[in-house]
Amino acid sequence: MSTTISVTEKLVGKSVRRREDPRLITGTATYVDDLKLPGMHHACILRSPHAAAKIRSIDISAAQSHPGVVAVFTGPDVAGVGPVPCGASLPGLRVPHHAILATGRVYYVGHAVAVVVATDRYVAADALDLIEVDYEPTAAVADPEKALEPGAPAVHPEWPDNVSFTYHQEGGEPEKAFAEAEVVVKQRITSQRLVPMPMETRGCVAEYHAAEKSLTLWSSTQIPHLLRTLVGQMLGLIENRVRVITPEVGGGFGCKLNVYAEEALTSFVAMKIGKPVKWIESRRENFLCTIHGRGHVDYYEIAAKRDGTVLGLRLKLIQDLGAYQQLLTPAIPTLSVLMMPGLYKFRNISADIVGVFTNCVPTDAYRGAGRPEATHGVERMMDLLAVELKMDPAEIRLKNFIGNDEFPYATATGLSYDSGDYAAPLKKALDLVNYRELREDQRKAREQGRLMGIGISTYGELCAFGPSPATPAGGWESATVKIDPSGKVTVLTGASPHGQGEETTFAQIAADELGVPIDDVIVLHGDTAIVQYGIGTFGSRGTAVGGAALYFALKDLRAKIKKFGEMMLESDDVTFSGGVCTCNKTGNTVSLAQIAGMSYRAMRLPVNEEPGMQATRFWEPPNFAFPFGAHIAVTEIDRETGHVAVSRYVAVDDCGNIINPLLVAGQVHGGVAQGLGQSLWEQAVYDDTGQLITGELMDYAVPKATMMPWIETAHTTTPSPVNPLGVKGVGEAGTIGCSPAVVNSVVDALSPPGVRHIDMPMTPEKVWKVLEGARA
Amino acid sequence: MKISGSYELALPPARAYTILQDPAILARCMPGCDHLNRIGETEDGHVAYEMKMKMAISSVQGLFAGTVKLADPNEPSSFRLIVEGSGKIGFMKGEGVLTFVESGAGTDVRYEGEVNVGGVIAGVGQRLLDVTAKHIIKKFFGKVVGAAGEME
Amino acid sequence: MIPQNFEYSSPRSLEAALDQLAGGPDGSADGSTKILAGGMSLIPLMKLRLAAPERLVDLRRVPGLNYIREESGVLHIGAMTTHYEVESSALVRAKCPLLAEAAANIGDVQVRNVGTIGGSVAHADPAADYPASLLALEASVTLVSKAGERTMSVEDFLVDTMTTALEPGEIVREVTVPLEKSGAGTAYAKMVQPASGFAIVGVAARIGEGFARIGVTGLASKAYRARNVEALLEGGADAATAAAVIAEGVDANSDLHASADYRRHVATVYAARAIRQAISRKY
Repeated sequence: MSTTISVTEKLVGKSVRRREDPRLITGTATYVDDLKLPGMHHACILRSPHAAAKIRSIDISAAQSHPGVVAVFTGPDVAGVGPVPCGASLPGLRVPHHAILATGRVYYVGHAVAVVVATDRYVAADALDLIEVDYEPTAAVADPEKALEPGAPAVHPEWPDNVSFTYHQEGGEPEKAFAEAEVVVKQRITSQRLVPMPMETRGCVAEYHAAEKSLTLWSSTQIPHLLRTLVGQMLGLIENRVRVITPEVGGGFGCKLNVYAEEALTSFVAMKIGKPVKWIESRRENFLCTIHGRGHVDYYEIAAKRDGTVLGLRLKLIQDLGAYQQLLTPAIPTLSVLMMPGLYKFRNISADIVGVFTNCVPTDAYRGAGRPEATHGVERMMDLLAVELKMDPAEIRLKNFIGNDEFPYATATGLSYDSGDYAAPLKKALDLVNYRELREDQRKAREQGRLMGIGISTYGELCAFGPSPATPAGGWESATVKIDPSGKVTVLTGASPHGQGEETTFAQIAADELGVPIDDVIVLHGDTAIVQYGIGTFGSRGTAVGGAALYFALKDLRAKIKKFGEMMLESDDVTFSGGVCTCNKTGNTVSLAQIAGMSYRAMRLPVNEEPGMQATRFWEPPNFAFPFGAHIAVTEIDRETGHVAVSRYVAVDDCGNIINPLLVAGQVHGGVAQGLGQSLWEQAVYDDTGQLITGELMDYAVPKATMMPWIETAHTTTPSPVNPLGVKGVGEAGTIGCSPAVVNSVVDALSPPGVRHIDMPMTPEKVWKVLEGARA
Repeated sequence: MKISGSYELALPPARAYTILQDPAILARCMPGCDHLNRIGETEDGHVAYEMKMKMAISSVQGLFAGTVKLADPNEPSSFRLIVEGSGKIGFMKGEGVLTFVESGAGTDVRYEGEVNVGGVIAGVGQRLLDVTAKHIIKKFFGKVVGAAGEME
Repeated sequence: MIPQNFEYSSPRSLEAALDQLAGGPDGSADGSTKILAGGMSLIPLMKLRLAAPERLVDLRRVPGLNYIREESGVLHIGAMTTHYEVESSALVRAKCPLLAEAAANIGDVQVRNVGTIGGSVAHADPAADYPASLLALEASVTLVSKAGERTMSVEDFLVDTMTTALEPGEIVREVTVPLEKSGAGTAYAKMVQPASGFAIVGVAARIGEGFARIGVTGLASKAYRARNVEALLEGGADAATAAAVIAEGVDANSDLHASADYRRHVATVYAARAIRQAISRKY
């Protein structure tokens, strides 16, 4: 006869408020720039104003003798430091040598030329003005299509065609599909360069202990362990003598999923001068020398039958790489190819990527990284096909979705979609907007001469990066759970949350699994001296991979706890639940604290068990997870000015099981904000000479709260079979689902005068001109 | 950035042409210009001057050093003016053709060309670049008109 | 993003501020000293090192520069009055709603809480919001220097792009707006540049019995009064007809956000909107 055990209320699935927020809101969080070390010096970096130039000479003498300046270094001084690494590999990939300071030539505006170290940041900034660089400007090219033209200036003189790589992927029989198609629709679609724009710019502090030959590097990064390995290699340091710490990180969006020249440079400088050195990126530098996102010119062709059945999709993808390969630069467009079929039964696929060098800052992962571009392409093409066939955009999607009984579904691009009910979120979104009535409203609006549009996007994502064979540097994640002698729980995750809220969600998971109050759990991350090796946070993987690793570590601990419980209760019929082990025969209990205490005192141990209460798991995901959803945007265009107003926005996302609905909503909102940014406002524009002319927030329009529409969110739930939590990932969903919904909506609004397509950002002038062109 | 426009000078074309080739007048009329020192002819036959300019519009100030070149002389109807300068806040290159067309008792001076800027001013000044360029040109021609008036 | 070295002073009287402004090497104002009002334009320029004044004289602690009051039919606004204070003033809202509307359109909340009306007019950004309304309201500025005071119309004050009639050593002390006797209607219509919050085009209309005043910002090198539109309206033309001429003969600004042609077009649209709304608000 068992006694009733009070089971702690389950936290998973509840909108637990973020435990991170009190310190963030009250301004007590510690970011890199808050660090103050004794004797700390400050570095400022001189950057090229030219997109392409030879460096004839650099005169640093005046800067060196400026009071307060400790040292000035230029390219030749850092020749011994290894190049900035590119972690992606493709057959025939051309990887230019990426020195941490320009030597001989500069390749883009913002290219680091010299570093000044001084007693304070103001002195260092003043001294930059005293460095005289004699540049010989050479011709530059900033547009990837122009870079491919014969006779274009060569970004890297050794590769005059500006091609870094070409990549072909094919599935099924695309030639045959297009030959047999009853209808083929073609469209050039661009996805402009974007600045990721975290609130906190990059920055680092390096401290070198010469006696131990050990380096501590605080950096605002998404990947502390990979940074440790790679920066150690660059500097020739022994890996276990490098410690990387990520203090609070104020957003990354992919731009801190990288190893940057400045991280090695700041460390190099600290080693040289024997003092701690801080470098904080200015917003201006963030524009110029932190990676940009997107940068696609895509040529799509879709083949279909007249009844709307899709047959094939062809893509020629021109990827603007910028001047160098950063950590994952060339891999990003390959993700676009993998996801190009979207949620549809495209059996025949052909894609050709050309990776092109330009005299611009490198592109790399930015929220969605390759998948927003793919989704934008396929979702635009589905709408173009619907227009061509005079079909409803919802109908053509429902007709071509992969069926619920077809999972796991092998795509023509070689992926295995884990699980899905693709019609469900679309139907839910259509219900939420009262689609039929909405179309009727639209008909009436058109009669009144108004330009009202309804745009649908149904997206699929490749998330939870990822199985290691498909992910550079490994795609597993790690977790350690330690229970103190007092029964308090510490989670160490190899993931590196920087705004996602895993200090909350992981505590929810641990609290549930161990049956302890959430306040008994702390989650630590981002210090390589404390946390076991990990991969990091990106690609919507934190919970789907890191959370799964945590789950398995908790499972191991539960088993150990139970064994201790059995020993202490002298019974083999014991249940561990609600934070106590209970003997099912006697009803006697021992608490987690008693068990943990016993495990450390170790006066007695269960057979084959070690002392202590700690478990570590490295979990390798067998597959990616594939979230999906449907977004609907209703827009109204000001006929006179071309201004686009989003009057309604509905996002129905299926990210599998939800750990914390509040945080999921936050991720969707933030993602949609960035999707709207790309759709309507944001663009990193380089002029013909390679000057970034949107180099400040006065010209680069990030969405502000007042510019946002109300976002209605809803969910369907299709658990992923890939991980034990059944989660799929949600960090990028909003961004991926958004832009096609908005563009489809605007094109729908403009369709009466005959507009077929419009590229992003849909600024008022662009929309107005398209409208004028259609009227003419 | 393309620039074009025209100004009326109360001088016949030949005089207008001459004063706009006169380094002393150019130096006086270029806003914030200290001096123009002839540095001779360039290899491609341009007359070239070294210049220093202190540009100031409201609080925005920048010192520019560079060259002024006069090329493709076609007296008295046209020549090409090439101004290059660089300073801490950026660099600029302006190149344009000045055409002198008789207009009543005076001359219609037309200019057409292109200005490229780089550095900080290009990266953060986008919103005000066009209007600032026009402002500087306006100031320049305003002074030229004044100088022409004195010579009448 | 770090300014060059500069000296900073925070005088406690207008006299002291004027002394310090005139405190150049030869005892006269030489442009190396700048007045710091709200700093919403000056500080970013300094951080980019596009501006590098040697000295800043902060007016924040100078008493008697922050007020909104009515005196014999004239609204007096002290130079250090913030945009938020103008926007939210019951007096301005009741007696001069156009100015409150213009203030509410400036930048964002943070800017409006710090930026000042004196700083805005002195900076004379060609896309700033205040000037269009001040022109339509036939407002004046009072400038003070060690030599004394002078008052001039805002129209005369705004000379060109970021160029005003301020002489070295002079400070904008206040802005004055004659208050309406009759029931003119006013409106400010603005197309917002989404990054900066400045106007791509902003049109302020003030329309009463037998008169119309139209101020335009963002379109040209400086804010100006569109007298051609005013004349058409005064001659009985409808809003669209009058608005259509607003960009005639104007050398329109062009940038990434709006080409000159588009600006000209948008100016006609926003002029018509401002005029219609102003007419609808006549009482």
